[in-house]
Amino acid sequence: MSKETLLCVNEVTKRFKVKGPAGAAAEVPALSGISFSLSPQRTLALVGESGSGKSTLAQCIAGLERVTSGEIFFAGRDIAALGETQLRRVRPQIQLIFQDPANSLNPRWSALEIVSEPLLIQRRCNKSEASGKACELLKRVAIPTGKLGQSPGEFSGGQRQRLAIARALSLEPKLLILDEALSALDCSAQSQIANLLLELQASLGLTYLFITHDFALAAHLADEIAVMDRGRIAEIGETESILRAPQQEITRRLLAAVPKPFSARQDSQVR
Amino acid sequence: MSRRQVTRWLGALAVLHALILCAGFFAPNDPEEQDRERPYLAPVKIHFVDSQGHFHLRPFVYPTRLQTGSFDQFEEDNSTPLPLRFVVAGPRYRLLGFIPCRRHLFGTDGARLYLLGSDAYGRDLFSRILYGGQISLLAGLLGATITLSLGAGIGAIAGYYGGWRDAVLMRTAELFVALPWLYLLFGLRAFLPLTVGPLEAFFLVVAVIGAVGWARPARLVRGVVLSAKERDFVRAARGFGASDRYLLFRHILPQTSSVLLTQAALLVPQFVLAEMTLSFLGLGVPEPVPSWGNLLASLQQYSVLISYWWMYLPALAVVPFFLGYLGLASALQEEGGTGKIEEAPGGSPL
Amino acid sequence: MRFLLRRVLQAFFLLLGASLLTFLFSTLAPGNYFDEMRLNPQISANTVAALRAQHQLNSPLPVRYAHWVNSVTHGEMGFSFAYNSPVAPLLWVRARNTLLLTVTATLLAWLLALPMGIWSATHAGELSDRALTWSTAGLLATPELVLSLGLLIVAVRTGWFPTGGMVSIGYGSLSLFQKICDVAAHMILPVAALVLSALPILIRHVRAALAEQLDAPFLRVAAAHGLSRRTLLYRYALRAAANPLISLFGFSVGALLSGSLIVEVVMSWPGLGPLLLEAILARDLYVVIGGVLFSTIFLIAGNFLADLLLYWVDPRIRAGAPSR
Repeated sequence: MSKETLLCVNEVTKRFKVKGPAGAAAEVPALSGISFSLSPQRTLALVGESGSGKSTLAQCIAGLERVTSGEIFFAGRDIAALGETQLRRVRPQIQLIFQDPANSLNPRWSALEIVSEPLLIQRRCNKSEASGKACELLKRVAIPTGKLGQSPGEFSGGQRQRLAIARALSLEPKLLILDEALSALDCSAQSQIANLLLELQASLGLTYLFITHDFALAAHLADEIAVMDRGRIAEIGETESILRAPQQEITRRLLAAVPKPFSARQDSQVR
Repeated sequence: MSRRQVTRWLGALAVLHALILCAGFFAPNDPEEQDRERPYLAPVKIHFVDSQGHFHLRPFVYPTRLQTGSFDQFEEDNSTPLPLRFVVAGPRYRLLGFIPCRRHLFGTDGARLYLLGSDAYGRDLFSRILYGGQISLLAGLLGATITLSLGAGIGAIAGYYGGWRDAVLMRTAELFVALPWLYLLFGLRAFLPLTVGPLEAFFLVVAVIGAVGWARPARLVRGVVLSAKERDFVRAARGFGASDRYLLFRHILPQTSSVLLTQAALLVPQFVLAEMTLSFLGLGVPEPVPSWGNLLASLQQYSVLISYWWMYLPALAVVPFFLGYLGLASALQEEGGTGKIEEAPGGSPL
Repeated sequence: MRFLLRRVLQAFFLLLGASLLTFLFSTLAPGNYFDEMRLNPQISANTVAALRAQHQLNSPLPVRYAHWVNSVTHGEMGFSFAYNSPVAPLLWVRARNTLLLTVTATLLAWLLALPMGIWSATHAGELSDRALTWSTAGLLATPELVLSLGLLIVAVRTGWFPTGGMVSIGYGSLSLFQKICDVAAHMILPVAALVLSALPILIRHVRAALAEQLDAPFLRVAAAHGLSRRTLLYRYALRAAANPLISLFGFSVGALLSGSLIVEVVMSWPGLGPLLLEAILARDLYVVIGGVLFSTIFLIAGNFLADLLLYWVDPRIRAGAPSR
């Protein structure tokens, strides 16, 4: 593990206890032996189908779920082994952006309250200072100041995701986990948010863990790609090499499923 | 549209409650003042035309006197018409419990005005109905507050922490729901002192009512807490390092507000009825304090049933209130959404 | 089958818990039946003490509870101080009368509510439906106490109905047919009060359940197939609406039971209600416990019946899938 690595996941396993159909307790293995590392200011994309364990992994790294076994080293410390109070101190540095901003923002709060919440929870400043910082962040993500007092219901999908991003940035995190953060948006919103993310990464020096089922998006945004299949990492490598020469069957399948642009299809038909 | 309905019902209820709250102003007489010489008077007739055939703009009543040669038959004394005055000085009372006043909305100078007749002790029924409403409604409101606080607390603990706490609390709730609530109420009342003073009786009734009804609200709150716990904004707040208490009080419990409000609108009438039932049977608020329940107690005698029909009127006083609360509950149930953000129609793409 | 067994077991544990709960409440009692006797100077303190010991009122709670459970298994359910007899026979007689009232009222209420609810759902929004909705709202706002007292006054002043009780004087000398008629005549008012108080809620729920189904996609598909309105209503919509209605049936039994308490007391119908009241005023401990338990048994039985019906009607439950 080099000094440069921000995040190092080592043999992480997660099993869920569920009630089987007969009423007996059963264990479902969501993650088995996940290992990878992520250097600062890089973007790693975790690609996989539904049920491959991507979100579970995201929750574990963000500290919202406990792993069954394994280690998660963040900036040198194993956060999987920390107690709740110690974890609380590390949390600001790893932030999670959820898929559906309609769900991840409290519908009864105003935009200003939502974005200032993390600062107030962490008690870093008083209410007026927090509001000031929140205003700055909202400007950063291009939310007009006139909309500060409105509740999430009055924003569009793309704007809500910007709110979520602004909120996550308020604690000045080092690692941002984007759990299908663009999947609930329409095409134009997707590209605008993607560009915003790239711009923020460059100016703030953020590290991204980008989780998606959309290979095309991953190819666009990520430096490295890890392909997940049923709780394991099937293949991991630089974006270029994965795209050019996929080794595993699952990777080939996912690549084949990406819709090609219109002109390309016509060409193939003609041929 | 539903929000307007809710406001309308709330407004109607507010008016009704204001009527009862300012009972002193609207009641022409003191509720506990007796007149042993005028028991069971029929409701007074309001006249506009006097015995000489003259029309008066201001309505008036005749005082009552015993018929000659009778012990209990009353008749009107045509000689002295008593005009009905408005905003008139009358018996002293305390508005809202502490402001001393003498003005009443209407009354007569002189003889007592028995708008709805009198009871066995010659007390004015109309005034007693208004004052009785204070006791019954307060019992209902207080009882509902206790039940909802208890239910919300228990439901929140069961839903948020889960595990053995959830199992124990919900099994107990099932138990309470399995018992027919009126029987449970009576059973509980049975094991407490039978004859107590009015104040203690009132609080006893409220406590008993409150203790019985917590199970259903608890289950409902638990359901809301269970689903709210999994919402992403709660997870996000945990991701910012929020404590359990913060999550419960700032994010999760506010989601239960619509459930609690609807339950309140349903429980208040139920609890008012509970107090009425207990008092009617002599297990609630005792004489001489009036409550809608004990005002009806005299109807248990056959003689009253057959001859003095106006003693039934306190029973009807409760109907407009119940209508109001039930209407409010319906409107609230319609208004309550999923708590999720609804898409604004035609919102801009970004 | 397993579903039913599970339900029976649940019911048993519920009853056990209910009996424990009521027994627990009894420990709060600051007085008991014999306090009255103590105030009577003609009965010596020794007699009172002996009577208390005889009925084991001095023993700690667990012992008393065990003793009571033992008496339940012997079919006695404790001892009534006021009536000087075992509790169970007393309760049975009264329970029969209460059952007569509540079962009749339940059947009648549902018989009326179903067609009215269906009519309301199919004529939704029309003026006549609005009138129905408003009158049911008014009825809903009128509690049983008000209804039964009102009906009683009507009976007393018009003399059209018997005013209270279950039988007339001279009942014993009537023929069987006349006896039935007599009881039925006495039942008119209490049943009317119960039905009127239950009707609004039932109509509302039937209407809501049916309205929900009438809007459902599967019904629209069936309509597109050209089925008649009648078939659609009775063979499709009503069947689908059956589930919540059957659950409501179980619930309505409980509500009717609670309502019957006050109706019985007002109309002097010799059921569990007046017995419970007497026992409360006389501090007859075991009768109170027995009364509460009996009513619980009826409630649980009603819900169990509803579960049985659900099992029979809904194939998903037979297959073992969760229905709620």
